[in-house]
Amino acid sequence: MSNTSRKPDIASQAFARHPGRGGVVEKPKNGKKTLRRLLRYFKPEMFLVIVLFLVVAISVITSVIAPAFQSSAIDLIVDESYSGLPRMLFLMMVVYLISGAATLASGWISAALSQRIVRRLRSDLFERIIYLPLRYIDSHSHGDLISRMTNDADNISNIVSQSLSSLLSGILTLIGTIVMMLWYSVPLTLISCSTVVLSVIATAFLTKYMSRYFLRRQELLGDLNGTVEEYVTNCHTVTAYNRQEPTIRAFSDTADRLTHVGIIAEIIGGSMGPVMNMLSNVAFVVVAVFGAYFALKGWITIGVISAFIIYSKQFSRPINQIAQLYGQIETAIAGAERIFAILDENEEQAVVGTDSADRTQSLDGRIEFRHVNFSYVPEKRVINDFSLTIEPGRKIALVGSTGSGKTTIINLLMRFYDIDSGEILLDGRDIRSIPLPELRGRIGIVLQDTVLFTDTVRNNLTYADPSIPDEEVREAAHLSNADKVISHLKNGYDTVLTESGGSLSQGQRQLIAIGRVFASKPDILILDEATSSVDTRTEQNIQDAMANLMKDRTSLIIAHRLSTIQDVDEIIVMDQGRIVETGNRRELLAKKGRYYELYMTQFAGQAT
Amino acid sequence: MIRYLKKYWLTAIIASLFMVGEVAMDLVQPRMMASIVDDGILGLGGSGPDIHLVLSIGLRMLLIVLIGGLCGVLSGVFSNICAQNYGNDIRKDVFRRVMYLSHEQTDRFSVGSLITRITSDVTQVQNMVMQMIRGSIRCGMFFIAGSVCLVTLDLSFGTIIAVALPIIILEVVFILWKTDPLFTLLQKRLDRMNTIMQEDVAGARVVKAFVQEKREISRFETSNEELCDTQYRVLVLISLMQPVMNIVLNIATVAAIKIGAVDVRAGHDRTGHGHGGHHLSLPDLKRHDDARDDLPDDLTRYHVEPPAPRGARDDSADQGRVEFRGAGFHYPGQEERVLHDITLSVKRGETLAVIGSTGCGKSTFVNLIPRFYDCTEGSVLVNGQNVRDWKLADLRNRVAVVLQKSELFSTTIGENIAIGREEPFTDEDKTETYRTRSGETRSVPSEIRTAAKIAQADSFILEQPEGYDTPVAEAGMSLSGGQKQRIAIARGLVRNAEILILDDSTSALDFKTEALLQDAIRTEYPGMTKIIIAQRIASVRRADRIAVIDGGTIVACAGHDELMRTCPTYIDIYNSQIHDSGTAASGEKGGRA
Repeated sequence: MSNTSRKPDIASQAFARHPGRGGVVEKPKNGKKTLRRLLRYFKPEMFLVIVLFLVVAISVITSVIAPAFQSSAIDLIVDESYSGLPRMLFLMMVVYLISGAATLASGWISAALSQRIVRRLRSDLFERIIYLPLRYIDSHSHGDLISRMTNDADNISNIVSQSLSSLLSGILTLIGTIVMMLWYSVPLTLISCSTVVLSVIATAFLTKYMSRYFLRRQELLGDLNGTVEEYVTNCHTVTAYNRQEPTIRAFSDTADRLTHVGIIAEIIGGSMGPVMNMLSNVAFVVVAVFGAYFALKGWITIGVISAFIIYSKQFSRPINQIAQLYGQIETAIAGAERIFAILDENEEQAVVGTDSADRTQSLDGRIEFRHVNFSYVPEKRVINDFSLTIEPGRKIALVGSTGSGKTTIINLLMRFYDIDSGEILLDGRDIRSIPLPELRGRIGIVLQDTVLFTDTVRNNLTYADPSIPDEEVREAAHLSNADKVISHLKNGYDTVLTESGGSLSQGQRQLIAIGRVFASKPDILILDEATSSVDTRTEQNIQDAMANLMKDRTSLIIAHRLSTIQDVDEIIVMDQGRIVETGNRRELLAKKGRYYELYMTQFAGQAT
Repeated sequence: MIRYLKKYWLTAIIASLFMVGEVAMDLVQPRMMASIVDDGILGLGGSGPDIHLVLSIGLRMLLIVLIGGLCGVLSGVFSNICAQNYGNDIRKDVFRRVMYLSHEQTDRFSVGSLITRITSDVTQVQNMVMQMIRGSIRCGMFFIAGSVCLVTLDLSFGTIIAVALPIIILEVVFILWKTDPLFTLLQKRLDRMNTIMQEDVAGARVVKAFVQEKREISRFETSNEELCDTQYRVLVLISLMQPVMNIVLNIATVAAIKIGAVDVRAGHDRTGHGHGGHHLSLPDLKRHDDARDDLPDDLTRYHVEPPAPRGARDDSADQGRVEFRGAGFHYPGQEERVLHDITLSVKRGETLAVIGSTGCGKSTFVNLIPRFYDCTEGSVLVNGQNVRDWKLADLRNRVAVVLQKSELFSTTIGENIAIGREEPFTDEDKTETYRTRSGETRSVPSEIRTAAKIAQADSFILEQPEGYDTPVAEAGMSLSGGQKQRIAIARGLVRNAEILILDDSTSALDFKTEALLQDAIRTEYPGMTKIIIAQRIASVRRADRIAVIDGGTIVACAGHDELMRTCPTYIDIYNSQIHDSGTAASGEKGGRA
């Protein structure tokens, strides 16, 4: 008995991290269109696809004719004509070997095919994501975006590597088997078919019930995992407020429901095997009885009965298989749909332009905001008629309470978001007419939340331009006080920062981030002061580093603490997206307005 | 692990018995099949097919198959009931343990590893039990009985299978052995890709600000290529499995026919055995689930916080009083003491601020009060009673802690605040109504509203689309760090505890809001003992006393003005935060004038 097309089962067992049989089937919204688009990824691999098709065809043909050889061999034995037997057995061997080799080749080709396609799909997806406007990234769950890259792409990879050849071979086997059976005996074929119909009905029936329970189980599993994640992450709060018992109760409820549904789902799923086994035996008896009857009548030989028994098994298998594959394919297409949804998002505008900023040509650094209006969500104005001119080399601080729009001003100047109306000019040019790489290349920015990359310290420092010479890197580290941190690391500049710099303290990360901006030698500087405080000494280091950085540069400082803006040229006090006061410290204090209020709450606490 | 199974031993045994039944029927059936071919179709006497014999054996065989199938389904029913309930018990138990782990223990396990323990590890164990009942019994019986059957059926067939089987087992073992390190590598590559995605999505601003999209693309490409390459290698190895297995089995078939033919010629065999033999091809060779056994052992090693041995005295005269007597703390197995020689007493209604640089032990200091950590020397007293003698729940009901990181749950804002109160809110609680931004009138328990007002959270909550009923998950986008902190503070206030601890939980508030909040707490809860940890001078200067912690102990404890005169550490901190103290001082005078 040959079984050439059971590969998916084995493979999915080996890939234990994927749910096995009966995983949830997800329905795509616009399956046909997505499928067509997905098929386009196969185009460059046309050669491999054709080879795969040929190999699968060979393996199917061999698996279909092998029983025929076997049946002839048995007939030879029955007829006691042993002289032809060795030749027949030799042919059988050859056929089986070819069949095995073809299966092997089809496995390898589909592996290569799946990886090539998925690689291109992932690349396309990443290139899109990296150029997505921040408006999109800020308003979508990051986990969700990442799962496109992993789960959804993986599903497609699996379907190509495991199911494509099974699908092809299933269809071919079906056709081949029917042809062979018809060739041997038409009436016996019809009888076999009737038992197959029975098993198809049974499969359809069971699958329908199964998928309902599996879907429900998957939902509950999602609930459960969500509950676990939330309560474990927040476990300190749970203990602090004595909430253990209600929490455990809520968890147990979900866990019990999951178990209940899981048991039913698994029972139905598990009965698939015995039921199919029963039906295939029914088919055997039916074929045997009718075969015996036909043989008695002399219509067929005994060898044909033997072949038919194998064929009728071979016949029902691809049908069941295709039914199961259908669900997997739908899930993969639903994933592809989500991937394409991102691919269809618009890139940031004006990303095109000079390849990287021309570092030799510098700006004067004159910034002008003219009647700028902006809102993140329609109707909720965040910036209101904001006008401000910053002369080259001046240092300006923006202060104001939370939500006054300070950080938004940076988002607008960097063109992370585009303004609704008004104008922002840089050296007299509207920033929307400046290519993004040029604009952003001239502006250095230190963000509130420090982002470092899992890479060497040197590569983190030369992030703006890998070609920055070593002396400049060292100088930047020195000026930013980061050299003190780096000298303590095991491999100095070549130390790889693990977990996105998680091995360093907050303050150390900030120093390296400042060094990174130093190395990029920007003309304009934006400092978004970190809210979370670090220890006093590091704080002092950071302050000094920032002061160094601001020297001779047009600087815009977003200050959350008034103490850090002692020596700026001008302070802009913002409230609800408007400028409410401007002036230097003394003037503003004398005015006894908004700044004075902020100042008093900070330094003289009790005043309010 | 086994003790969890005790409850289900009966179900497990029933499941096993049915499994034995199923396999037994499966073993009898090929004999009948052989008999149909031999006696019925070939007709032993050489008289040709005997249709009645075929029919009668066929019907008997169908009956056997039906019984076998029924046994199979029932075995599935019982083994599922057993395995899944077993898994569920473990899952619930592990969750309970995790919930009762002390902070010190949760700090040691990473949150991620705790989550996998409860979710995927339990599933793995569950699958293993399932596999044990069904898989191993099935495999074992097939293997033993199958071999016996084959040998009795015909010795030479037996020999063929005996040769083929080890080859196949060898092959499977070889492939698994080869793929195992590859799977580890694959996981590493996947993690790497995930890290890059995480960094680039979370750090999109930096990538864009430095115009490094191209660099990120090439970084991603490298990782993508490595991942695909590894995955390809795994797939190639795995696709070896089936074809090689087929080739071995099919060659065995050829050999069987060859031997069969020779035997027939010798005149002592019956053709039908050809079918009986290879119908019983192979026991299911399944990859053994390497469910990680380490799960329960690992967790049971860490015992749950010991409950207080003695009953707690409840109403003591000095309510809200916190006292440290030479308290100290060091992590188990570590020499260095985080805190030492802390002696301090806070009286009812007093506001004590705690300041010091990062890592000086401020947080550990307050964690000793609700026994998140147990002090390793000296003692801590609440209401005059050692915290170790308190019933843990009673102690924590008296202490409301607002943590540094505002942990919000995915429910409504109102619910998040309500969690703070000991008793859940019912319909009998007084409510008040408010208007949402869209003009809708809604109601919320008065206690929640009051707490939110004091925490300076009411106004922004009303700004949310559904007011207090806005789900945090949806508001998460628009809630700033400071707003989350204020919700967490409201949660602490609604508890109305004797002692309130704010563990650096106003760090993201601007000074004005922070000042308003502190004043409101002071006037609204005069009898509550308040302990405020902070890093900023402005946050602590209004406290009755400020404890300055340095090097693991309290170096000074007094009011702001006195500390400014006497405590060099405090003056250092002050100067680092307020550069030209001259201006600040004059501003201060101006403020008081």
